[in-house]
Amino acid sequence: MSLIDLMSMAKPNIEARDKILARLSGKELVNCFQCIKCTSGCTALKLLELKPHEIIKLVNLGFVDELPSSDIIWTCVTCLKCVQRCPQKASPYHVIIALRNLAVEKEAKVPEGYLKAVSQILETGQVETYQKIVTRKMETVDRECLKLPKINPPKQSFQAVFMKAMEEKKA
Amino acid sequence: MARVGVYVCHCGLNIAGVVDVEKVAEYAKTLPGVVVTKHYTYMCSEPGQRMIQDDIKAKKLDRIVIATCSPRMHEETFRRAVAEAGLNPYLTEIVNLREQVSWAHTHEPEKATEKAKALVRMGVARARLLEPLEKRRVSVEKSVLVVGGGIAGIQASLDLANAGFPVYLIEKAPSIGGRMAQLDKTFPTLDCSACILTPKMVDVAKHPNITMLTNAEVTDVKGFVGNYEASILKKPRYVDEKRCVGCELCTEVCPVKVPDKFNENLAEKRAISIYSAHAVPKIATINPDYCLRLKYDKGVCGKCQEACEAKAINFEQQPETIQVKVGGVVLAVGSEVFNALEMAELGYGRFKNVVSNIEFERISDASGPTGGKILSPKDGKTPKTIAFIQCVGSRDKRFHEYCCRVGCMVTLKQAILAREKIHENVRIYVCYIDVRAFGKGYDEFYRRARDMDIDFVAGLPSEIHATSDGSLYFDVYDKGTNKLLQIRADLVVLGTGLVPNKNLADVSALFHASRSADGFLLEAHPKLKPLESAMAGVFLAGACQGPKDIPDTVAQASGAAAKAMDLLSQGEIELEPLKAIVDEDLCSGCKICAPICPFLAIEMKTDIVDGKERPRAEVIEAVCQGCGLCSSACPTGAIKIQQYSNKQVMTQVEAALAETCAEGGK
Repeated sequence: MSLIDLMSMAKPNIEARDKILARLSGKELVNCFQCIKCTSGCTALKLLELKPHEIIKLVNLGFVDELPSSDIIWTCVTCLKCVQRCPQKASPYHVIIALRNLAVEKEAKVPEGYLKAVSQILETGQVETYQKIVTRKMETVDRECLKLPKINPPKQSFQAVFMKAMEEKKA
Repeated sequence: MARVGVYVCHCGLNIAGVVDVEKVAEYAKTLPGVVVTKHYTYMCSEPGQRMIQDDIKAKKLDRIVIATCSPRMHEETFRRAVAEAGLNPYLTEIVNLREQVSWAHTHEPEKATEKAKALVRMGVARARLLEPLEKRRVSVEKSVLVVGGGIAGIQASLDLANAGFPVYLIEKAPSIGGRMAQLDKTFPTLDCSACILTPKMVDVAKHPNITMLTNAEVTDVKGFVGNYEASILKKPRYVDEKRCVGCELCTEVCPVKVPDKFNENLAEKRAISIYSAHAVPKIATINPDYCLRLKYDKGVCGKCQEACEAKAINFEQQPETIQVKVGGVVLAVGSEVFNALEMAELGYGRFKNVVSNIEFERISDASGPTGGKILSPKDGKTPKTIAFIQCVGSRDKRFHEYCCRVGCMVTLKQAILAREKIHENVRIYVCYIDVRAFGKGYDEFYRRARDMDIDFVAGLPSEIHATSDGSLYFDVYDKGTNKLLQIRADLVVLGTGLVPNKNLADVSALFHASRSADGFLLEAHPKLKPLESAMAGVFLAGACQGPKDIPDTVAQASGAAAKAMDLLSQGEIELEPLKAIVDEDLCSGCKICAPICPFLAIEMKTDIVDGKERPRAEVIEAVCQGCGLCSSACPTGAIKIQQYSNKQVMTQVEAALAETCAEGGK
């Protein structure tokens, strides 16, 4: 291999890189020229140090072995700002999603929240559960006392379809 | 029976690297009529040409097929070589094995070789039917139309006029000068733009060979290379050009304020005013969209008329159409600056202290709205922090994919001007992707900027925010320090690029000058014919052909002028003999062809045969461009195009469809 990262002695893994690229709809998704707009505007950067431009460059060069098992790919809040603003339509977001799918495939550690979200969707049909909130007058209110209609859990057929879709994605 | 020679060119490895040229040459031998086949490294080279010439003489060849690069490249070269050997040059057929075979099928050498064989088979079949033709000579008009009065148009006009050619210079605005007149200083020498441009503008106005028509537009163009006829619409100024002395007494009394286009709408002027401080001609113009008298009623206002001592105001002035005959055209219509409103995230238009770089030029210019003091348009105060943001609208697939070629240097210049004018009291940041300082003295200019304590941040912000008090801030991640920086700025200057004029499509249609994918006018060849459009006699100068800085624009303008001189200096030119011919016996006089002809080259004539009127079409030879529209429209097949007769084309098609060499050419 002609390329080596002297800091970690890591070598590019072209095979793994091509797997990620295959998940993107076209090669132009990694046509990044490092203008850094994505990182400058990244919602997660300020909180969690996600640097989209680094991820895209690492994928380009083939330093991908660490990425699926890294926490960093899970910090993206999918606000899609980078997709909208990218001047090269290179979209770090799609690379991050590809890495996440790869992580699940490899059975790498997935943050608990995501697993919870899946089981929650199965149980309630919702990404977010409804919550009690506190008003400015410090009263605690919920849907019931606001007289909002009750939300029923999904039918069993929904769960079957959902599970089937998940299985298909994996395959 | 024709005696055909087939010559297959390797073009170094350009063709031979993909196509098996030996096989193709070998195959050509089996084709009917072929007497000689050869292959050679560079057919266009001196020994290559001599090889053909020797064979013509020794082997008595009378048709030459050369399988090489595109005919656009070397057809003329080979025709000349063939003519030198005593054969009519139009008995040469070019088969394109490079652009249409080796470059198009790099990864399929076997299929490419088969395609090459098929093309050679078609070429030989057609060559056998070629007829000797003679070039036509037509006289040309020794004058030139220059469209656009910016620095490109000015330079081209002066060069042509100095060489003795009458020039008609057409400018849309009330003054010549264009973009360059709006600039403060110019990179990389910091020459004052007005100081170097204004004398040239005056030269244009005074030159005896230049007819300068401002406030005018070309509305129609007819004719062909050497003999164009253009209609020019001169819009009314409502001011008598001969009487106005440019005293501006009218401007002082005019009550109507209008946005000042020359100052990028950062200031206001009056409905009657002179275009700019350095305007040439220095003549007032009334804006009919704002003038009370012109807009509403004959009875109102008229203050300018009272004030004018020269009695130059004429509200009755009408548009005027002027016809000019010219031999060539130089298109120098320039470009526009990207409208940053399209890029909503940067807040241009929402925040008054976000300005484009052309607006900054006006803010910095001594004749601009602030008298040359750099002040924020929002509060009129001197900014303490200025931030420049690069590549706005350029290098961006959402807007324009090309590099604007001037943005980096413009920003460096403006940053230096800001430092020189506000001294140490301003922090200057430049957010960039790359700094492209590629011209002569440009990288030295970049160093000069760095020496002046201008901070370069390697990264672009995603968006610009304003606080409740209106001051601006943005986050930008710096590649150099790996830090997320927040920059608070009183003035943000956007490095907006150059984009094609909105009406460039009209210009393109008017002059049959095609456009490239980026929207600019397309040169005839990206390397070898950068000054010509695909339309003979129409030349390109300046930013209408692609974004350009002043040195490149001036160089191209002089080049385009030289090309026009080259075309017209002999007083007559040779035209290709590709023209339409009407077979009088077959022509039914149906008149379908006449209105179809884009060059108006077909006239209907009436003969008297046996006492009856018989209409027929006649081709005006000098005007016909041989485009072939009439030939394909003619229902009786009476019109044929020389060199492209139905028989010649159909034989070629049949050869294409013949599968084996045995059937080829039948």
